[in-house]
Parts: sequence; C-alpha cells; structure tokens
Amino acid sequence: MKHMELRLTVNGVAKHWTIAPGDILLDVLRREGYFGVKRGCETGECGACTVLVNGKPINSCLMFAAQAEGAEILTIEGLAKPETLDPLQEAFLDRGAVQCGFCSGGMILAAKALLAHHPHPSEAEVREALSGHLCRCTGYRKPVEAVLAASTKKRPARAKAAEVSR
Amino acid sequence: MFEGVEAFYRPTTVREALHLLRKAKGTARIVAGGTGVVPGGDRSVRFLIDITRAGLSYIRKRGGAWTIGATTTMAEIEDSAEMRMLAGGLLASAAAACGSVEIRSMATVGGNMANGSPAADLAPPLLALDAEAAIAGTAARRKMPLADYLAAVCAGKMKNALLVEIVFLEPSAARGGWCFQKFGRTAVDISLVNVAAGLQLDARGRVKWARIALGAVAPLPLRMPAAEALMTGRILDRALLAEAAESVSDTVHPIGDIRASADYRREISRVLTGRALEQCAARAGYSL
Ligand SMILES: Cc1cc2nc3c(=O)[nH]c(=O)nc-3n(C[C@H](O)[C@H](O)[C@H](O)COP(=O)(O)OP(=O)(O)OC[C@H]3O[C@@H](n4cnc5c(N)ncnc54)[C@H](O)[C@@H]3O)c2cc1C
Ligand code: FES
Ligand code: FES
Repeated sequence: MKHMELRLTVNGVAKHWTIAPGDILLDVLRREGYFGVKRGCETGECGACTVLVNGKPINSCLMFAAQAEGAEILTIEGLAKPETLDPLQEAFLDRGAVQCGFCSGGMILAAKALLAHHPHPSEAEVREALSGHLCRCTGYRKPVEAVLAASTKKRPARAKAAEVSR
Repeated sequence: MFEGVEAFYRPTTVREALHLLRKAKGTARIVAGGTGVVPGGDRSVRFLIDITRAGLSYIRKRGGAWTIGATTTMAEIEDSAEMRMLAGGLLASAAAACGSVEIRSMATVGGNMANGSPAADLAPPLLALDAEAAIAGTAARRKMPLADYLAAVCAGKMKNALLVEIVFLEPSAARGGWCFQKFGRTAVDISLVNVAAGLQLDARGRVKWARIALGAVAPLPLRMPAAEALMTGRILDRALLAEAAESVSDTVHPIGDIRASADYRREISRVLTGRALEQCAARAGYSL
C-alpha cells in the first residue's frame, strides 16, 4: 500500500503522521490514540465521531485524513485544561447528561462550536446544533439542559432549569 | 474501504485538478465534502482529487448574475447574508435543511449536484431559479442548463467533468415570493419529497409566471412545466393552487422504497406543492 505524510495540529500539538492516501480521519485519530473519537455508525448519522476541524464540527467518519492537511483539530481529549474541565463538561456532569458517555464527546464538541458563535443560544438553536447526535442512554433533554446551563453560567441553576420546557 | 487508493491530490487550481483528472483516465474520484464519496465506498477508485483548495469556494454577484463556486459548503450558503435575502432565502433555507450541522459544514453545492441523487435538496431551488452549470472537462469550459447537467450525471456521462460553479440571474422581487419545502422522516433525514416554488403576480393578482420544481419523485429532480403553464395568466386563488398541486401529483412518478411508498410520495407531492405555493403567495404580499 502507498503512503503519504500528514501534518496537522491536534489539540494544540503539531503532529506528523504517515497515512495511507485512502485513510479515513476517524481511523487515523483512533490509531493515534484519540479514543474519545468514537466509532459509531460510520455513515454520518450518529455524530459519535465528531471532531472540530478549524473550529467547525464534522463527522470524522466521512472525511479523508488527507483532507486535514494543515488543519487544527480539536478532539474531546483536548477540551479540558490539565486541572479544570471545560464549563460544558461540568454542565454535562451536573445535569446528569452523561450515562455511558459514547455520544458525549461528540455532543460536547458540537455544543462547543455552537457557543463559540452563539454564546447565548435559544433552546431551539441548541436542539438544532445537537440534531446530528444520537444518544441511546439519557436521551436529549439533559444534554440540551446542560448546554443551556453552560451558556448562562452566571444565572442560578434552578431558574434555568425551569426555562427548559421539554 | 479505500485500500486501493494510490494517491491523494490537493490541487490548488482548476487547471491542476483537470490535469490530474485527465491523467488518471477514469480511475480518479473528485472529493469535495466527502459526504457522498466516503459512504459510497467505491473500491475501484485509485486516485482521490480533493478540490476544496482549488479556489472554488465563493458566492459572488456580477451584474445581475449570482455565481456560487462548486466547493461552497451548505453552511456557507446557509450563513450568507446575501443568500438569506435572495429569492426570500430560498437557497439558504434549502441548504439549512440538508442533514445535520456536521454534514452541512462538509457538504458542498457541487457535490450535491454531482452526486446524482434525486433527493438533493439544492436541486429544486436551483432548477426553479433557472440555474446553469459551468463545467470544465477535457474540452474547454462550457455552460449548460443545470437540468441538462443533472440528466447527464444521471446517465453517467459526467464522470470526468469538473463542475466549476453554478450561475443564475437574480429574480425580480416585486410582488414575488419563493418557498422551499422538505418532507423527511426526521429533522436530519434525506427528503422523501422536496419542493421549490416561486411566483410573480401582477397588480391585479394574475400570475405572471410560476416556477415549480420537485425532488425525490422521479429519477431526477424535475421542473413541473404543466403546472407552471396552467397557472400563468390566471388570477391566483385557492382553486388555482389546488389545480396546480393536482397537476404536480399527476406528473410525478416516484418510486417506493424503504422510506415511503410511491403512493405516499405522490400524495406528499400534492400537499407540499400546495403549501409551497401558498407560502409564495403570502410572501408576495397577496392574501388568498
Ligand atoms: C448523514 C447524511 C445526511 C445527508 N443529508 C442530506 C440532505 O438532507 N440533503 C441532501 O441533499 N443531501 C444529503 N446528504 C447527501 C450529501 O451530503 C450531499 O449530497 C452533499 O451535498 C454532497 O456534497 P459533498 O461535497 O460532500 O460531495 P462529495 O462526497 O465530495 O462528492 C459527491 C460526488 O460528487 C462528485 N463531485 C463533488 N464535487 C464535484 C465537482 N465540483 N465536479 C464534479 N464532480 C464532483 C464526487 O466525485 C462524488 O461522486 C446526506 C449525506 C449523509 C452522509
Ligand atoms: S460514526 Fe461518524 S457519524 Fe456515526
Ligand atoms: S450517554 Fe450513552 S449514548 Fe448517550
């Protein structure tokens, strides 16, 4: 099989990998140890493989690794600071939005991209941002609540919960 | 899945992309967003040509004509202030209806056309806007009506052609309205039926012209010339909308598959066409 070089940044660290020209980004990331990038449907339906490429959420199961040349990739492993979790991760924990956790990495990254552009989204906007993510455990209500909670950090938790109608 | 791929190219110009395409003699596949190519899993592909760095991501207006580069993503169309205005946001709303946020930040307008899917969500709006496709092939660059391009893709005749851009004229906004409607099982599913419609009325409420295009109801996304013709010149009222919607459901020849039966798609075609035309009338400022 033929090989090629791939240079990119993953979670702020420059990487130089050897890949096959037909490699899928999901496979390469997992091969390199980023197991937070989950292999679910591999057809773009479930969102478990979501990573941010130059700030945009994409399904890594649908992207050739070679397309990521020069890109900045953020996986769930890169979100927390060494000592502190990201506010979104905190909110997912506080709200019980994580059960098995298989969908959580993808959802949190999609939410991260949403909040970067819309720091105070409506519930409808949060639902739209998470619409490409399937959860087989908690469902969607708690993740939606968690994203809304993370986006309105300064307000008391109880008042926010009451705003979530469904 | 793509173990047979020998090289992955990232040309930075259209010229270079065409050169690579020619050199591969039919064994290369163009990659834009990859959302069609990757799940397709075609094992015969030997070369992949990523065209997203070839300078084809743009939305421009020159004179009265709009040009959208082939690698412009659904997200870029959805977020473009100009596309949100153009034809009442017809294209922006269709782009926003494509899959999930993740899919939309990858999927391109060129891939949507070149994929050859009868359900492609940008096809009905672009057909309704009388769009043309600019193609670069082994011969010189040429323009053809988008409908002809889609038919050629469907017939397997566009394998070695690069779709460069989509071009259409800015439609007149006076007493006009446009609407895109999509019906799928879930918010992120492909369309069971999709409809784009546009109307322009005269001062007395007579239809100057109507444009109606549907997807997923035939092997190709199609304009509905019979329904458009029967509306032209007549006063717009509910009976006329019903007549046009009926004509559409008589014209379509949908398939039945895992998502829906043919009869169901035909009925949805009637209902969605009616809804789309009603919205067009409302957006044209006309009360039925
Ligand atoms: C989970 C999921 C959901 C989806 N939902 C929708 C939906 O709601 N609506 C919808 O319309 N589609 C949907 N699609 C289909 C697909 O995402 C779209 O058709 C998309 O626009 C394809 O664009 P792309 O850039 O990803 O194409 P690619 O995968 O890069 O290419 C698709 C095909 O077109 C060719 N091609 C690409 N660009 C060019 C070009 N410029 N010139 C010549 N050939 C070219 C490629 O060689 C390939 O054969 C969905 C797909 C998935 C996986
Ligand atoms: S594994 Fe990529 S979307 Fe499911
Ligand atoms: S927490 Fe298990 S799939 Fe969502």
